[in-house]
Amino acid sequence: MKGWFGRRAQQRASAVKRVERSVFVHGYGSLTVHVHIDCLGAVCPRPQLLTMRALDHMEEGEVLELVVDNPGSAEAIPGMDMTLGSTHLVTLHEDSCWRIFVRKGYKDSDD
Amino acid sequence: MSNEVRAATLEMPELRGATWYGHKGNIYATAIVALVMLCSAWALLQDTRWIYLLVYIWFGLGYGIFLQYGRFCMASAVRDLFAVGVPRMAVGMLIAVMLFSLTAAVVKVLGVNTFHPHPLGWHILIGGAIFGFGIVFTGGCASGSLYKSGEGNIGSMLVVLSISFTQAYYVTMGGWLNKLVPASWTASAAAKDMPAQLSVTDGWFDQFVAGYVWNLQGGQLSDQLGFDGLFSGAFIGNAFLGAILPSLLLMVYLYFVVYRKGYLRRRKIMAPRLRDHLRGVWSMVVSSRNTAIAGLCLGVLAGAHMWATGELREHYGIFNFGELLADMGHTAGLSIQDTVFDPGYWYITTQEAQWGAWLMDKAGVQMADNIFFGLENGIPDPLINAPGWMSIGIILGAAVIALARREFKWKVPNLETAMFALIGGALMGLGARLGMGCNIGAFFATVTNGDLSGWVFLGGMTAGGWLGVKAFNSWMEWRSGDDDLAI
Repeated sequence: MKGWFGRRAQQRASAVKRVERSVFVHGYGSLTVHVHIDCLGAVCPRPQLLTMRALDHMEEGEVLELVVDNPGSAEAIPGMDMTLGSTHLVTLHEDSCWRIFVRKGYKDSDD
Repeated sequence: MSNEVRAATLEMPELRGATWYGHKGNIYATAIVALVMLCSAWALLQDTRWIYLLVYIWFGLGYGIFLQYGRFCMASAVRDLFAVGVPRMAVGMLIAVMLFSLTAAVVKVLGVNTFHPHPLGWHILIGGAIFGFGIVFTGGCASGSLYKSGEGNIGSMLVVLSISFTQAYYVTMGGWLNKLVPASWTASAAAKDMPAQLSVTDGWFDQFVAGYVWNLQGGQLSDQLGFDGLFSGAFIGNAFLGAILPSLLLMVYLYFVVYRKGYLRRRKIMAPRLRDHLRGVWSMVVSSRNTAIAGLCLGVLAGAHMWATGELREHYGIFNFGELLADMGHTAGLSIQDTVFDPGYWYITTQEAQWGAWLMDKAGVQMADNIFFGLENGIPDPLINAPGWMSIGIILGAAVIALARREFKWKVPNLETAMFALIGGALMGLGARLGMGCNIGAFFATVTNGDLSGWVFLGGMTAGGWLGVKAFNSWMEWRSGDDDLAI
């Protein structure tokens, strides 16, 4: 067994990654993504918890991209703004998954 | 106002222009509805009395549609409060509670309310806590697991499987567990003069039910407060005092504890007045439009379901579906009183226990020598298990709307998620049997009918959810290592 439930493998391949790339969201515009979280296949509450903890480690104004295929999580993230001090920018619904873009900090601080 | 918190969801450009029939999900969704209609028509041609069972299927379909539409998950109602401080789902749930209490009151005034109050005792609190702990690990409550199964989530199907078999197993467990049962329960159970074939002094659950639960009192607020009038009892006693007032108080509490700070900061309100707070509560209510709409519709649907079943019972002159089944010649699987499980309203866990018990019975395990199956609920063939069809209806309804909204996807769990599903499901099963139902049967359906034991269940569920979130967080930290999030 590869560690407990593949614990070591999990430690090597973290779902949360620091990236630096530009994406163009049709109908919204360009965005620079700083942190990418891959939560494909994960159910509540993991995507929410990872998003919350990743936001804790990010700088004000940085953008996080969360990829989920659990509809409940896609619905929950925008509602977390008020408590997390983040701004939900846009959710892109692709076939059977969602790309959710969230900026750390309130919207009015930078526009 | 809602747009502030709900920024846009955009469809992929190639999906936007697609025609209705160009989207395969629409075809599958239509096929499912057509199949249910065809099967219903076929059943009615065999015997019109199957309408009683079909009511369950069609209301199940409706529940499934709105549950999926609002991502309505009572697990997240208690969990997200502690996990991420988001009141969205809790608010949606309270809206549903208030609406259902009103529709249930209407049904009571019409004289066909099918609700039975639950005996109140410590078991409700403890059962709720175990259930609440379990749902954090399964990622969904009992109804949540059903509608998520309809979204193609195989992990949720494992949860349903686990709840079904563990519940069936718990109620028949005896052996060394008999030694742990208090002697007073055994004596009290023995004094109940139950038929010998139930062997009520063997098996912990029988002794728990007959020796403890049956000695407790339960009731509806309308009777406890002495509201004699049918109208005042139903609307003031049960609906307003039992459900609406506590829900409003909880909403105000949620606003002040969870939502207020972020709302006022965002709105740059330094010295909030009452008007600002009221706007804040409203902003919390509409922060997830879909969930609020689903709450409204589920509340109305649940009342309509009660009314439809009640009217059918009057029409056929029966108290329980078992009588109708016996009339139609289906006597196999009935309890010794010729009854089957037939709540007449939204319920989840007992019919799942019956599925597990039916399979175990077929495998040769003695399942009927207990109160739960032998005396009360029976073990009907799943094909004629009316509430069972409500659960299948929920899965199909959720599949229909998930397919149509491009949200259906087969999701295979990894080993960890699968383990959590099975273990969490076993905890939910235990909690549901101790607490006499899940968050639907023991909370939603009870508080809305003036039975305060449901609020006790919610209290237990909230405490269990809080502990579950702590445990889940520790597990995630341990598993991913500390540097995982040091991005």
